[in-house]
Amino acid sequence: METLIGVFEQQLGLEGVWALSAAYSVCIGSLLGFITVYAMFAIWMERKVAAHMQVRMGPMETGAWHGWAQSIADAVKLLFKEDIIPSQSNKVMFWIAPAVVFCGVFAGFIVIPFALGLQIADLNLGIFFLISIASIEVIGVIMAGWASNSKYSLFGAIREAAQVVSYEIPTATALLVPILVVGSFRLDDFNLWQEANGWLIFHSPWMMLAGLVFFISSLAGCKRAPFDLPEAESELVSGFHTEYSGMRFSFFFLEEYASMFVASAVMATLWFGGWTIPFVDMSTWTDPDSFGLSDVAVTSIGIVVLLAKTFFFIFVQMWLRWTLPRLRVDQVMTLGYKYLVPWGFVALVMTAIFKYYGWGWFPN
Amino acid sequence: MGAVRDYFGNIASALTTTAKGMSVTLHHFRNEPPITVQYPFERMNIPDRYRGLHILEQDKCIDCHLCAKACPVDCIEIEAIHHGRTLEWKKFTIDYKKCIFCEFCIPPCPVDCIHMTTEYELATDNVDDMTEDLLSWTGLRPEDQFAIEASEAKKAGKAAPTKAATAAPEGGGDDDDKAAKIAAIKARMAKKS
Ligand code: SF4
Ligand code: SF4
Repeated sequence: METLIGVFEQQLGLEGVWALSAAYSVCIGSLLGFITVYAMFAIWMERKVAAHMQVRMGPMETGAWHGWAQSIADAVKLLFKEDIIPSQSNKVMFWIAPAVVFCGVFAGFIVIPFALGLQIADLNLGIFFLISIASIEVIGVIMAGWASNSKYSLFGAIREAAQVVSYEIPTATALLVPILVVGSFRLDDFNLWQEANGWLIFHSPWMMLAGLVFFISSLAGCKRAPFDLPEAESELVSGFHTEYSGMRFSFFFLEEYASMFVASAVMATLWFGGWTIPFVDMSTWTDPDSFGLSDVAVTSIGIVVLLAKTFFFIFVQMWLRWTLPRLRVDQVMTLGYKYLVPWGFVALVMTAIFKYYGWGWFPN
Repeated sequence: MGAVRDYFGNIASALTTTAKGMSVTLHHFRNEPPITVQYPFERMNIPDRYRGLHILEQDKCIDCHLCAKACPVDCIEIEAIHHGRTLEWKKFTIDYKKCIFCEFCIPPCPVDCIHMTTEYELATDNVDDMTEDLLSWTGLRPEDQFAIEASEAKKAGKAAPTKAATAAPEGGGDDDDKAAKIAAIKARMAKKS
């Protein structure tokens, strides 16, 4: 971000505010483009993964190769669909709810380090920002459910509220565990630490436990199966977005896949080394006597490494979705409060003890 | 201690059953090819004894109406004019809106000329298309036509018309499409038996 502002100031001769807004537009534009393309790919991937797990084929016709253009066709269809607003709904809230939902997740993207220095905002409270901004999404969901004036939507929204509020505790607790070891809230610090020391997941068994707790509770945060109670097709038609259609509906879809990406990217960054390869100092690759790669090439390698890890976790999320049946509401609460919260705290306390005595599988 | 054992038992069973389930889905994902087919382009194998649309070996049929009588839903309609032993077919239709594919019409046939094929595609946007015409031609060859017309002319006391003037066009008014389809079905039936 700062680099970009500098570029705009020096190369194009823009002044203060103008350089700032130009840089912001470029960042937001590229991020929006990335999210859209990624979401289309992820939806296609989900359909293919689902199909093959059920011994089917999935989309095969649109686009010549394995239906790759299916999502594009769907997006175009959704764009041209009529935007129906129920007459008994609260129009204003109904209107802005998809935007609020999407903004919450979109804001999460700005702290994710895609590669060395490739981060829109390098906040030193990055993780803190991430967990607090992710809660905005639930406000949008409640708005959508309430404004729709439909019992299914309202039930979906209430479930979402209960679920997200409960699962934020284990999420935050589990996130504290790597923070404890690395001693920073800045996301890039985790990458650098893990580049030097190895993946945090192998730090101690308690770190693995924390990773598991975070993964499960992030599933609940993303409303992914088996925690897709807010949408619960078999019970609530389509949950909180029952009344939505066309473009507004597609925003909820975009949000779901974007939040999957954020959760997986955080998982990859905090526990699996983000864009780094352990014990490989990528910054030396630009030296002529090692590989002599250009900065752009090293950055792209970083992006590819992060995306590979992220997509692995996205795949696991899809895999779980097509494996497990949906939990009941009381089971969700039981799992959250009786299992994840205590084990999250156990992981936190034990890691603190490990850190104090310097135990663990590699030096810290 | 029951509660504690339950608690840890729950954790253990949740982890193991999830792992088990995931291994099953992963096995499907990696090792099992899709069992579905790309329907309009390829089809599943239909068992030979599948009860699909009917075909009629028209030259063998003797217009005895046994099949129509056996039909529990009365969906077969037959109409033919007997010129001595030669049949001039007017109608042999099966109304697939009513047909229940019970195969009751097949065994009564004394000359074994009505069969069921493995065709099953009945979808149409026109309800009249649900009534299939099993006739592919009127049942009269040109020489039959000539003989009939000659005998009728004799009855009326007129001179027999020349053969050339009355050579009826073949095809009996059916479109080529349908004739080709029936020919294909017949060829397949012949291959099967
Ligand atoms: S299959 Fe059964 S219902 Fe159909 S025409 Fe034959 S006897 Fe009638
Ligand atoms: S029972 Fe056989 S011979 Fe008799 S009318 Fe039916 S198809 Fe023709």
